[in-house]
Amino acid sequence: MQGRLSAWLVKHGLIHRSLGFDYQGIETLQIKSEDWHSIAVILYVYGYNYLRSQCAYDVAPGGLLASVYHLTRIEYGVDQPEEVCIKVFVSRRNPRIPSVFWVWKSVDFQERESYDMLGISYDNHPRLKRILMPESWIGWPLRKDYVAPNFYEIQDAH
Amino acid sequence: MAAAATSQMASTNLSMLHFKGGGKRDLRKRKVLTVSAQEVDVQEDVKVEKEEEKEKQKQQQTLKQPRPVEPQMNVKSKNMAREYGGQWLSSATRHVRIYAAYVDPETSEFDQTQMDKLTLILDPTDEFVWTDDTCNQVYSYFQELVDHYEGAELTEYTLRLIGSDIEHFIRKLLYKGEIQYNMNANVLNFSMGKPRIGFNYKDGQIQDVNL
Repeated sequence: MQGRLSAWLVKHGLIHRSLGFDYQGIETLQIKSEDWHSIAVILYVYGYNYLRSQCAYDVAPGGLLASVYHLTRIEYGVDQPEEVCIKVFVSRRNPRIPSVFWVWKSVDFQERESYDMLGISYDNHPRLKRILMPESWIGWPLRKDYVAPNFYEIQDAH
Repeated sequence: MAAAATSQMASTNLSMLHFKGGGKRDLRKRKVLTVSAQEVDVQEDVKVEKEEEKEKQKQQQTLKQPRPVEPQMNVKSKNMAREYGGQWLSSATRHVRIYAAYVDPETSEFDQTQMDKLTLILDPTDEFVWTDDTCNQVYSYFQELVDHYEGAELTEYTLRLIGSDIEHFIRKLLYKGEIQYNMNANVLNFSMGKPRIGFNYKDGQIQDVNL
């Protein structure tokens, strides 16, 4: 089963892989990290002018890291806008993904959070630094192989 | 952590300086001292310990000898504010306050320009009853940790690692029964667990309370 956007991308010779549909029937595509910036520009030109959310997760212990983008095409007079979900997978050894900050500005803090939590470094992001953890923190807290330091917290106080 | 050798702050030989209790309370203590002149209070004040940070003299004892910094005269609070570029490097938990600064034990002047020193303020809220011996155990453990982390970057993260280890050490002392909760503390919430009166800590066996 091929979605609309996937067919359109095939027609224009853009490399991607369809990951099927999620429970709401939204098309999910996988895109290589080296193609991601150019395809993001193409999708913006195609009409996806709204980045609804960006998030990241650790796929499996020792496996890949994923960065997920939910795009929406906002137009006047449309009550069911076109949506698509893009996933970009990178290896945890050298996690580099081109930033789409210069395409969708709203990704700014969300990419910073993904960097902070999973250590994915977004190339060309203007101020990629930790946003939740202190700047001197070591390690990426949401990776599955993260070992929390044995910091003292008050737990027993009555 | 200690392997992170190449850093800008790598040259900091973390020297140390420690004392027990905050400044204001010490002043109050001194007042008490002039009136009642109890020995305990005198000891409290003497606990303001400092030594020179010298070349490493590793002692073959089990307890590492702390090497406090020499006391300084006329210390002024400096570089406290952000506009002077001062970084407030610290690790503050309830019983352990570590500052990368020189803190004058008498006047509590806080000299942030002396970032090569670490100051440990032990249990400022007086939750535990401390003796010279247990204080020295904590100080020597602090020195041990500071030596262990030598060469590591001087960041809040490192300070927090050190501070947390000392807190765990204090908890261990408490569980071994070497220090006790101070029942006259201002806040009596047993932050390291409820006191277990009647248990024998030494051989780990729980005895009947009524025995």
